[in-house]
Amino acid sequence: MAIDHECSCNKNPLVPSLCQVIDVKQETGDVQTYTIQTMDGKKPFSPLPGQLAMVSLLGVGEAMFSITAQGEDYIQCAIKRTGLLTEAFHEMLPGQVIGVRGPYGNSFPVDDIKGKELLFIGGGIGIAPVRSLIRYCLEHREDFGHMDILYGARSKSDICFKEDCLENWSKEPDTNVYITTDISTEDWDGHVGFVPSYLEELGFQPEGKKVILCGPPIMIKLCSESLIKMGFAKEAVITTLEMRMKCGIGKCGRCNIGSKYVCLDGPVFTLAELDELPDEK
Amino acid sequence: MGNLTKEQIQDRIREEAKKALATGEVSCVVGWTKTRFPDKTKPFFAYTDAECDLLVWNEYCINSTAKYALDDRYPEQKIGLITRGCDSRALNRMLKDNQLKRENLYIIGVVCDGKENPVCDGCQHKNPLTYDVLIGEPVEETINEKRFTEVEAFEKLSADEKYEYWAKQYDKCIHCYACRNACPACNCVECYADQYRVGWQGKAADREQNQVYGLTRVFHVGDRCIECGECERVCPMHLPIMRQTKKMLKDINDLFGNYECGLPDDSKPVLGEYKLEDPDEFM
Amino acid sequence: MYLAKKDLEKALQTLSQKAVVFAPILETIEDKVSDAKTVEKKFMPYFDGAEVALEGFNTVKPPKDVLFPNVEKMYKYKTGAGAYIMELLPEDSQKIIFGIRPCDMRSIDSMDKVFLTKDYVDSYYAKRRENVTIVAFGCLEPSRTCFCDSMGLDPNQAPTADLMMNVAADSEFTICNDCGTKVLTDDGKYILTPQTEKGKALLEQLKELLSDGGESYQDTKCSLHIVKAENLDEKLSKMFEHPIWEKVTKGCIGCGTCTFVCPTCYCFDIDNENHGAEGCKYRCWDSCMFSDYTRMAGGANPRPTKKERLRNRYLHKLEFFNERYGETLCVGCGRCIESCPAHLDISDFIEKASLVEIDASDYSEANYSEGRM
Repeated sequence: MAIDHECSCNKNPLVPSLCQVIDVKQETGDVQTYTIQTMDGKKPFSPLPGQLAMVSLLGVGEAMFSITAQGEDYIQCAIKRTGLLTEAFHEMLPGQVIGVRGPYGNSFPVDDIKGKELLFIGGGIGIAPVRSLIRYCLEHREDFGHMDILYGARSKSDICFKEDCLENWSKEPDTNVYITTDISTEDWDGHVGFVPSYLEELGFQPEGKKVILCGPPIMIKLCSESLIKMGFAKEAVITTLEMRMKCGIGKCGRCNIGSKYVCLDGPVFTLAELDELPDEK
Repeated sequence: MGNLTKEQIQDRIREEAKKALATGEVSCVVGWTKTRFPDKTKPFFAYTDAECDLLVWNEYCINSTAKYALDDRYPEQKIGLITRGCDSRALNRMLKDNQLKRENLYIIGVVCDGKENPVCDGCQHKNPLTYDVLIGEPVEETINEKRFTEVEAFEKLSADEKYEYWAKQYDKCIHCYACRNACPACNCVECYADQYRVGWQGKAADREQNQVYGLTRVFHVGDRCIECGECERVCPMHLPIMRQTKKMLKDINDLFGNYECGLPDDSKPVLGEYKLEDPDEFM
Repeated sequence: MYLAKKDLEKALQTLSQKAVVFAPILETIEDKVSDAKTVEKKFMPYFDGAEVALEGFNTVKPPKDVLFPNVEKMYKYKTGAGAYIMELLPEDSQKIIFGIRPCDMRSIDSMDKVFLTKDYVDSYYAKRRENVTIVAFGCLEPSRTCFCDSMGLDPNQAPTADLMMNVAADSEFTICNDCGTKVLTDDGKYILTPQTEKGKALLEQLKELLSDGGESYQDTKCSLHIVKAENLDEKLSKMFEHPIWEKVTKGCIGCGTCTFVCPTCYCFDIDNENHGAEGCKYRCWDSCMFSDYTRMAGGANPRPTKKERLRNRYLHKLEFFNERYGETLCVGCGRCIESCPAHLDISDFIEKASLVEIDASDYSEANYSEGRM
């Protein structure tokens, strides 16, 4: 049989390229951001906002992470310490050689949301994928309407990307930033409360607005309910899913929800699209 | 099976199952029902009277019912189990291992005359050893004189012959864990083999990893094996797994005296407790 | 063209000169302490003196591992100073799968769709697939669990194979002493029909052993005919929360037998094997029946019990794959029915799912066991 070798990546999609970590930044107690370059100082690839990278620590393991930012010659992933592999990641120092393959998955529908007002909602490490889109929108600021960014973390010290969340983004034109923490601490004089209730308190108008919602499953569930109560259409709420992944290219099987593979057809879905899938998320 | 015919036992099973459900204390009764093949039954969970009428008793009721009790370790209601001698020993095993609570079980014991299953030929306990209600008159227990005959013969082979034999067997193994999942002594909440992140057990189904798994399991269940033969029956690749567990039991018998598992007594697994009089010649 | 049964061995020897020929061969493991020798029929490379068993029941394990090995090295690497990653592709050697059954051929069609389409081509599978020629054998005697014709297949035909092989209608049989199945006598003949260029090339290699003719072949029917709703995939898409799942999954013991004997199960895991600073990344078969299959690093598991896992497996076979690739992933080979330790039966599930009402609030086996009693 003749095999059509047209692969999106033009090479063996399961073999990573060697890359190096050029900077490690401690975001919170258990989140670090890694700046990643190829061995010859180039950008590994140019992902779309919301896309994923399979990052491996050779000899330890490999896992999928969202790409939280990119520049001329680098990409960045923010990784939370949750298991053995991510614990090993957290031991990394600048200069560490890693394997990277990707980019994987669909992306935030940047064309669909052009010209719209945007409401970004993030919780905890869920701000990582959202940040890639926020950065994209700020770079193309004139293409988008008013932007609201609502972010919740457990406490002030758990806020990821502190410069962006607490300083930079609120200085951007036509952009409001709302930060809330779950618990009240001495170093925090901002809002205290969970994201869904703060969301209802703020009471955004649904007209002409698209919502980008990422966070832990329970937050997504409660915020979705609040947004629908506030009059948002399910088509207007865009979220991302998380599943265990191994291959990243829709072959190995495990990240399916119904007939969709999160690694390939996701991770970005609207609530309307999720309604079409079996309830196994 | 003493005084009752197969049909009479089947009727009594259905009757006792219905009675158990009628008390309101038992949520379902686990037994066997027919499949589309006349020589196969399958484990069946009866929740209603109509479903109780689907329970069957014949020479093909070979699957162990006991292990299904582990599916719900903290049930709201009792679980009813149709229980043969081997199943009762499996339950005793899990009760002794503190995996089940006796008060969560309703045990309908049936005196068994052996099934279409080779392991039944060596059965030493046709009477259920633990039950709430018993169907059939207990029969006289037999001693299996040939319990370790095959192992003794195998022991006489050279190390190379033994290795060659087992290497070929483990080349067949597909690493499906059916033996573990069917085994009443394999009742760990999380099996070491599932702790992939720790890395005890490689996932590749090659000879090396299959042997690591097979031998680890045999040692782990060594002094708790009830000799029900489920491991060997369920193996899709027909590995003679019982030959290994029997070897463990034979050595234990040689070292510690007559030893059998799953009896309703206070005995503890010999390798799990220390006694001053334990043999220590190897030290 | 005809190939006489007595020339089968010569044919295999001829083909073995240019390729590794995987054929259904009986492998015996002698037991020195009892007469309980074990005989397994499996696809393995042909060698002189091999006991080839084209007829008889299908193999316990499908030949899918010729294309998708149980363990496959993907790349090797070194960490630390002088770190590297080096791709490891399968060798460029020609292989022939000889005597695959129509159900297993159709399974390879499904695997082709998975590994070679939808944006990414799997380099390992592609390399093996290109170098494989497939000779299919029309079933002579299906086993009691065979229901491929209920799943839309024909046990006599494998249209996507390179070469089709059937038993000539006027052949005579004997009954095998060991397994009790029909075996062609030495005077019997096979009909060989090329279906692709690769198939024609094989015939060319065998031409000295062939004779003209070969029109009508033994027409075989499946043993098991099941009730299957016309649009079962659509019906199942509305049955995700149906009470049937709770009941039909009760007996499952959560082992991986069904997935490992299944010719269409293709899920895999990826892991490392390290030796100091060097190591290799390999992939190996995985089973959706295992608890860790979907368990995430934090411990959350979207499919926590056997109910969710078996539901996913059945739906993958009967609904999800249809939605994604346009065909059913169960080919009716019956292997999982024969091998399941708990005697679960996917054909039984297909019948029951076909019969139940979509919006039933309760499900009882008692209402659907007619004909089983």
